[in-house]
Amino acid sequence: MGSEFLLTSTTVSVLLICALLAVAFHGAEVRTRRGDRMARLSKPEQRADALLKEWLSPEQRSTLHKYGFFEVRGSHTAKCYRIHCRRNMSIYEVGTGQTQVAIWCFGPVGHLPLGDVMLAQKLALETDEQAALAVANRSGC
Amino acid sequence: MAMQIVMDPTGDTRHEFNMSDAAAVAEADRRFRQLTGTGFTAAVRTAEGRSKLIRNFDPSAEETIFFPRLQGG
Repeated sequence: MGSEFLLTSTTVSVLLICALLAVAFHGAEVRTRRGDRMARLSKPEQRADALLKEWLSPEQRSTLHKYGFFEVRGSHTAKCYRIHCRRNMSIYEVGTGQTQVAIWCFGPVGHLPLGDVMLAQKLALETDEQAALAVANRSGC
Repeated sequence: MAMQIVMDPTGDTRHEFNMSDAAAVAEADRRFRQLTGTGFTAAVRTAEGRSKLIRNFDPSAEETIFFPRLQGG
């Protein structure tokens, strides 16, 4: 009876320690991956990333950090657009019920760092949506 | 101090100028016209996360950002 109890409590303790180690290891790995991503960014990418964050609202910054995109409202239609953190097919028009109804593709000319591209897309949609969409290519989802 | 931020392949180039210095303001105005004349769009921040386009130089704007002409992707 005593040895069974000892065995059970030892097993539980070992499992608990393993679970705690797994959680700690996962957390450290996520932090390392984030650090690696920042280290991998070139200086221009880092500057553009910082500029983008300066011009985003706190909510947009938070959404970008959590989900890899942020939302903007079109200046003329008040439609919602999601700007994703990538170069191509990056702007999703979001309809009612959070459904994606179209993909818009446009960006500034020249080879700018991704943060600059995303910031130009945000500024264009929020300040002159019609002009931005006039040059954009659209595809359905 | 005011700032004009121009997007470019290095991330951005920043031009700081003293708003009470007439020569510096004239230089900023010249830069504004030169950039918008070559296709850049200028925007100023109106609140955190919010901005508006400007078509003419605004000497009272603390921060003006310029992004290149847009094209379809």
